[in-house]
Parts: sequence; structure tokens; C-alpha cells
Amino acid sequence: MPRWGMVIDLDKCTGCQACTVACKVENNVPHGSPEEQTSRREIYWNKVIAATRGRYPRVKTELIPMPCMHCDNAPCVTVCPAIATYRRADGIIMQNFRRCIGCKYCMVACPYGVRSFNFKEQESKEYQRQDRPPDRTVWGPWPFPTRTHGVVEKCTFCFHLIDQGIKEGKRIGEEVVPACVEACPANARFFGDLDDTRSQVSRLLSSRGSIRLREELVTKPKVYYLLQ
Amino acid sequence: MSLTFTTLEGRSRGFYLFVATLVVLSLIGFISFAMSYIEGHKILGTSNVIPWGMPIIISIYLIGLSAGSLILSSLTYVFQKEEYRPIARMAVYMAIVLILGAMIGIALDLGRPDKTWRLFMFFVLNNMRSMFAINGILYGGYFAISLAYLAFILAEKPTATRAIGILAIVWASLVHMGTGAIFGFIAARPIFYSPIKPFEFLAAAMVSGLALLLITVMFVFKVAQRKFDKNMVFSLSRLLLALVIVLLVIVSVDKVTHLYSPHRDPTLWLLTGPFSWVFWGLQVGCAYILPLLLLLHPRSRKSIKGVLAATFSIIIGIFGERFVLVIPGTAHPLPFYPGKIEGVWGKAGSFSFAPAEFLMCLGIFALMGLFFLLGLKYLELLPGDESSEQIPVVAKNP
Repeated sequence: MPRWGMVIDLDKCTGCQACTVACKVENNVPHGSPEEQTSRREIYWNKVIAATRGRYPRVKTELIPMPCMHCDNAPCVTVCPAIATYRRADGIIMQNFRRCIGCKYCMVACPYGVRSFNFKEQESKEYQRQDRPPDRTVWGPWPFPTRTHGVVEKCTFCFHLIDQGIKEGKRIGEEVVPACVEACPANARFFGDLDDTRSQVSRLLSSRGSIRLREELVTKPKVYYLLQ
Repeated sequence: MSLTFTTLEGRSRGFYLFVATLVVLSLIGFISFAMSYIEGHKILGTSNVIPWGMPIIISIYLIGLSAGSLILSSLTYVFQKEEYRPIARMAVYMAIVLILGAMIGIALDLGRPDKTWRLFMFFVLNNMRSMFAINGILYGGYFAISLAYLAFILAEKPTATRAIGILAIVWASLVHMGTGAIFGFIAARPIFYSPIKPFEFLAAAMVSGLALLLITVMFVFKVAQRKFDKNMVFSLSRLLLALVIVLLVIVSVDKVTHLYSPHRDPTLWLLTGPFSWVFWGLQVGCAYILPLLLLLHPRSRKSIKGVLAATFSIIIGIFGERFVLVIPGTAHPLPFYPGKIEGVWGKAGSFSFAPAEFLMCLGIFALMGLFFLLGLKYLELLPGDESSEQIPVVAKNP
């Protein structure tokens, strides 16, 4: 079984937010509004943060794209009372909207703030893909989730693309990648099997020093960052 | 046993007016809840930074009051302290009403309250490693045990009452320690993360439960024109003093250990930041310092007014304690990456007052008040009126 992971090269990232937008389009995440962003109620499956160190004129700003870390020891999976958040055999942490009761315990437990709560009944014009409206007859997480307000959402590593690619016999990580990896104009993101020594992500990880975010919490994230 | 219990007469104009007000407030609360269910939680004060708002605050507050109240009823039924018998029945009934209010509060806070039943599918649809699911067992069991406890008390079966009373105090302690564990086991939130949290919650439960019990007893006895033994109140207030000191010690240990790394920054932010007035003013001032002064002062500790002031102060202060745990605990920005995180992602969350949320919580309190009054009217909870010569079943045959 593969163990999907992501490698993000901070040296290449320009902070253009193409990953954020591509994620919203692919997963039909509502685009939100400026007011929602200031009140922190907008749904983000992928975000880009900027961390500054030092003082002007000796200052350094680093841009860190943050999808869900898909931790091996995911605190959200431990705390979810309804098994709405669970780990697939390939290591992807999934969120089942049908099981989610909206207790928001996972949002409290997540050390990376990758989880968003759906605060309102979204109007159809707020969705990215007008051509693919939310399907209310299908209860599975895909095709487009039966999005109701009151459930917690998060990045799924575009599991639907991966599953589809495996079915079609394509090479995952090269021919088929999550939307954020595909959209990155700077080629800063890589996706692949962390257990496969021949995969691109393994080669990259052995070539340079890498970190994972908040490793002191021993959540063992599967998103690695190559340092500048 | 010379002590008899009776129902509240409840025929006066004031009683019906009070009941009607509570019904109206409950309905307003229900309407606010229906709005939040239809429109989504955008009308509440919560956000992605502060996922838990007022309903969770009042839920853990009410669970504390309930557990404390039930534990104190055991003074009579388990430890055979006869002097507290006049108020013990009311304590048990109050515990049931409060846990009901707390469970309603939790259900209303859920994004999908229609799926509340999923919390109670123990071992089938639940992840039993989750503290929330474990607490589902604790709360459900607590509700059942306290109902049985009350039934045995009303049926006057002392042996069975004592047996179930022992189970009830153990279970009530577990209930509130489990609630503390919901917060204490979250490693990602430094203000929550503490192994002492369950014990802090237990101490806070007993303090607030006893304070509320004293207020309720004094109020109900005055309105129902029953006499109460002042010495009983003063002995309970001495117990309250001891419990406040225990709580103060536990909270101090918790905060002092948190002043060391890696919890230092969020704790300093809590003690000096935008929520510091709640911490120092309500939690420390109202819940610890003022009651300590009132209960230690030679004059005020010997007067009913002094004790009443101390208990009121505690009730408000413990609410502040819950608020200052839930809201700042999640509001402090998470340190995703070394350095200062710019923009909205590095900002502390702000909790805004939302009318719908306030009315929802008011509705829960009103509903509990309603249940309590109906309980007084239809169950034999009050000690008999010694001044009149009537038999205790006075409500049925006036």
C-alpha cells in the first residue's frame, strides 16, 4: 500500500496562492467574501501563511503553503467521536460529511488550523463550479460533497483524482497529482508515495534538509518542507 | 423519621406569572436555535479560530453545577449527615435539571443537532478513543443514575438509596473529570493542555454546585415560607470556604506550571491580554478573592447576607472561569512556523457578542428554571411546613 505524502519546496514557492485557488475550484469550496475572511469564517482547504523574522532592514519573510498535513498520528482522528474523520489505508485523513455531527472538537485539536467549519447554507453562486452544482442525491464525499452547513471540512489530498488515476492505471505523482500540485506555476509542490524509494518525493527528501511543521507535537505529518 | 417532605403549593399569581415568563423565554431560546439551525452558525459568535462559543461554556458550567450538587446530596444519603436532609432532595433534583440543560446546550452547539444521537451509539458508531465519546457514556449514565437515585429517595428506600448514592458520587466525579479531560488532553492548545484539568474541574464543580445549592435553598425556602436552620447554612459555608481554597490551589498550580515553556506565551497572553479582565476580574476576583474575604471575615461569615453575597460572587466567578478557559484557550494563534505570522492567520481570534447565542443560552436557563419549578410543584422535594398543622399532602387536598 502506498503512503501518500507531499513535499513543498520553500525555495521555489512565490506565494502566488495558485494552490489555494486551484483547491477551491477542484473541490468546489465556496469562495467566501472579504467580510467572512475578516471574521475568520471562510472555508480554506489550503492556505498560504507568511512568517516574518527579524526587524527592518534585516528582515526575512517566509511563505508557507499549508494543506492538511495528513498526520500519521492525527489528533483529529483521535478526538472525533463519530468516526467522521478517519484514516484511509493509504494514509489520507478523510472527512465524512454524512457522519460529521459538527461538534468542532477536531478543530480544537488540530495543531495546524487546517480545518474549517461551514458556517452557513451556501448559495449556489458562491460555489466555484457553476457547471457542477453540489449533488444532493449522493451521500458519499465525492462527486461534489453534499455540502450542508454545520459540518467540518478539510483537504483530502484530492483523493478522488488519486482513486480515479489508480483505476485508469496512471502513475500517481507524475501523471496524476492533487490540484494544488498541478496548479503550482513555480513547481514547488510534489506529490507521491513516501514509502517508494524511487518516487520523486523520496528522492527530494534524501537530497536536501527538510522539516515538518510543529514536529514537537509528534503528530508525524506527511507534508514535508524543503528549506530555503 | 420526623422530617416530612411535601410539594410546593404553587397556586399564587406570582408563581403562574413566573412560569409564564420562563415559558416565553424558553420559546425565544428555541426560536433562536431554530434560526441557527436553518441559517447556519454564522449568526452565532463562533468562527474558525474560536470554534466553541457560549453553548459549550454554559454546558460545562452546568455540568459542573450538576455534579457538585449531586455530590453534596451524598452528605445525607451516603454519609448520613442528618442536618442536611432538608435540602438533599432538592439537590438531587437540581442535579437532574442541570445535566438536562447541559446536554441540551451541547446538542445546540453541534453543527448538525439532528445527528446528536450519533454521540450515544457507544462502541458501534463511536470512536471510543475520543474523550467526547467517553463523555457520552458518562453523561448518559449520569442522567440515568441520578433519575434512579431520585426515584429511590422519593420512594423512601434508604438502603437502595445509599447503594445508588455511592455509585452516583463516583459517577458524578467521573462526569466532571471527564469534562475536564475533554480540554486537558488537547496537546495543541497550551492553555487547555494540563493533566490537572480534570481535578480543577472537579473542584470547581463542587464549589459552584454548593454555591448554587445554597442560593437556591435560601431563595426557595424564603418564597415557600419554610424555615431553615441557620447553622446548616453556616456549616455548608465553612465547607464552601475549604473547597474554594482547594480550587484556588489547583488553579494556581496549573497557571504557575503553564508560565514555563512551552506554554509560556499563551499563558502570558491570557494573563495580560484582551481577556485578562475576565481572568483577574471574574475568575480570580469573584470566584476566589471576594468569597474568601467574605467567608473569612468574622462578621460576614456569621450573617446570611454575607454567605449569600459570597455564593453569588462564586456563581458569577465560576462562569468567568469557564469563559476564560474556552474562549482564550482557542483564540490564541497557533504557532505554525517560527517567527511572526502575518495577516489573519497570526491574529488572535475575537469573540463577538451574538444576540442569537445569548437568547439561546437564556432559553436553556429558562427551560431549566421551568423544570425546576414544575419539579417543586409535583414532586415532594420541600421539607414540610412545620408552622402549619396540615398533613404533607396538602397540595392535593387543599
